[in-house]
Amino acid sequence: MGVGTQRLDFAEFYRRSKDECLFTVLLSVGDRDTAQELVDEAFARAWASWRTVSRHPAPAAWVVRTALNANISRWRRRRREVLVPDLGAVADSPAVAGASDGPVDARIMAALLRLPSRQRQVVALRLVLDLDTARAGEVLGISPSAVKAHLARAIASLRDDLMPERQQERPS
Amino acid sequence: MNDEELITAVREQRSKIHSATSVEQIIGRGRAVRARRRIPGAAAALGVVAGTAVALTALVSGSHPASHQPSARLAAWTVVKHADGDIYVTIRQFRDPAGLQARLRADGVPASVTFTGQRNAACRPYPGTGLIGKVISVRQEGSRPLTIIRPSALPSGAGLQFASSAPRHGTVPGVGVDLVQASPQCTGG
Repeated sequence: MGVGTQRLDFAEFYRRSKDECLFTVLLSVGDRDTAQELVDEAFARAWASWRTVSRHPAPAAWVVRTALNANISRWRRRRREVLVPDLGAVADSPAVAGASDGPVDARIMAALLRLPSRQRQVVALRLVLDLDTARAGEVLGISPSAVKAHLARAIASLRDDLMPERQQERPS
Repeated sequence: MNDEELITAVREQRSKIHSATSVEQIIGRGRAVRARRRIPGAAAALGVVAGTAVALTALVSGSHPASHQPSARLAAWTVVKHADGDIYVTIRQFRDPAGLQARLRADGVPASVTFTGQRNAACRPYPGTGLIGKVISVRQEGSRPLTIIRPSALPSGAGLQFASSAPRHGTVPGVGVDLVQASPQCTGG
């Protein structure tokens, strides 16, 4: 594949995947600016290794995995230098930077960001990126059954959070 | 709202978040990613020119002290400062890191250079990600990578760390460039 063709191929992949990758990472890290930075860097790495990444069975999953890994490295690096808020605490924040910008449903975003980190990641990969259970497990380094369990718990939490009337209807 | 509608509502949110970064910006940044990686071209050149480069280093460096302007040409590495302020660095051989470091500092770039496979332990990463792509770009010039430094893009209090990777069996050593916090111990006073 020539450089020009590679560039076109990558540009099409980027156009198709950038928003869903951004949203997936946003759900994981809880901060719009951080998510944007991580996703931009991950796509840049994808372009730098496009010959390899283009052959990956799910290039968008590669980008998300790279972004999440970079976030872990970033967190570890900064932890040695300055204190940073715990990601869970960030998710509990009522005003998560960028999450309520634009026409997103603030109630749904807030409920998603209240989920534990792992559940948010599973929701993002399964429902936003549409990865199957096995692929989502590969990205997160957990078993398919753990993916299913996290997703079930996440849906239950969202249901309770967003549909309290149904919770009240349940027999005690 | 049942579970299916709930899942649909979650999925709908993804179409409401948009990345504003253009593909051109990503591709430009991808070049900086390559700059941070090992540069096999330098190692390939290393094997080819090692015999003559050592002699040239001794011969030429004597007539081109680090403070000489506008350029210092050494066989091991070359630093050229251009009129627009950009500095072009070509590393052919992992020799005389102190000379390269002094040359970059003389050209106004707070820098730490090590060719030992170890980074300068006094250097601390500069906070924030993605900034390196604004300061460093790399392009291939012949068989060797050319590193272009844009000093005007260096954030306040930042410097550059050039560090070779440790030579290991089965791998070729390269040079990584990172943004670090400028300090007397790391990048000089």
